[in-house]
Amino acid sequence: MTDEGSARLEHKVRGVDHTAFPTFDPAGTVRFYRDVLGFPVVHSICAAGWGPEDHPDFIHFFFDIGNDDRIAFFYYFGLAPVHAHERGDAYAGFGPEVPEFFVRSRHLAIHVDDQDDLLEYRRRLDESAWPVEMQIQHETIESIYTHDPNGYMVEFTRAMRPVTPQEDLDANLTIDALLDVVAEPEPTFGKLLARKAELIVERAGPWESAQRDLARVEEAAR
Amino acid sequence: MTALYVLDVPENTAVAKVAAEDPEVRVGRVGPYFEITADGAIVVDRRATGCRHAVWYSCVAGVAGGRIVQHDKDALRVDPA
Repeated sequence: MTDEGSARLEHKVRGVDHTAFPTFDPAGTVRFYRDVLGFPVVHSICAAGWGPEDHPDFIHFFFDIGNDDRIAFFYYFGLAPVHAHERGDAYAGFGPEVPEFFVRSRHLAIHVDDQDDLLEYRRRLDESAWPVEMQIQHETIESIYTHDPNGYMVEFTRAMRPVTPQEDLDANLTIDALLDVVAEPEPTFGKLLARKAELIVERAGPWESAQRDLARVEEAAR
Repeated sequence: MTALYVLDVPENTAVAKVAAEDPEVRVGRVGPYFEITADGAIVVDRRATGCRHAVWYSCVAGVAGGRIVQHDKDALRVDPA
């Protein structure tokens, strides 16, 4: 694409091995992920405290979220919650000065194949203590949301259509425009759209020609 | 001249179609983008597009020679600079 780094560096990674979060409620966490959602427990570590700090003994446990990817939790014996804020999650709390959109920005989105599967997870959640809070059609995906027993926002999402090649071009032009405007003082959305318009004029025509040439080469190879 | 760029994906085609209903507005193409141009303002009525909100508020790819002065539940309006 237009990004020099990704063109030069071979892309060898294979998705999420695991993403990890602390929990003060292992019972609720197991009920939510294993018993309500049906995510198998696939790994756990029982570890005695060690290391330079006064590290507590802990259990590190993993659930399969599909595709052999995993969500993992740390339960620390004897550790009290680290904050007393009502807003936030087990990891971090937020006072009234932090806007709600910011608090709700961080989340884990789990992919499902189609609307039937999305609605199946909706059914499982709605029958539990953690019902779906929102179901939304975004630009090209449809999602359901809830918060797990630790306050972490969890999304399930399905694509309403495949991503098209021009959307990859557009994403790269957006990022290049973003880097240009944040390199200058007082970046704004208006400045980004102006810079992106310049990049579209410069690159979108040549990109389309290159796509056509590529299609011809592929056709000839058949 | 005011130019509004909209990526040509199925969700966005109604934006270009509604913009083109104004005789003062021209709709051309640059690669996979609609290039919507006018000597004066470009105004698109949201309800006429039928776009749901997430699509409507993310349909603009670029603006040249002008600036967005309205982008709300009623309309998108780009005025000349």
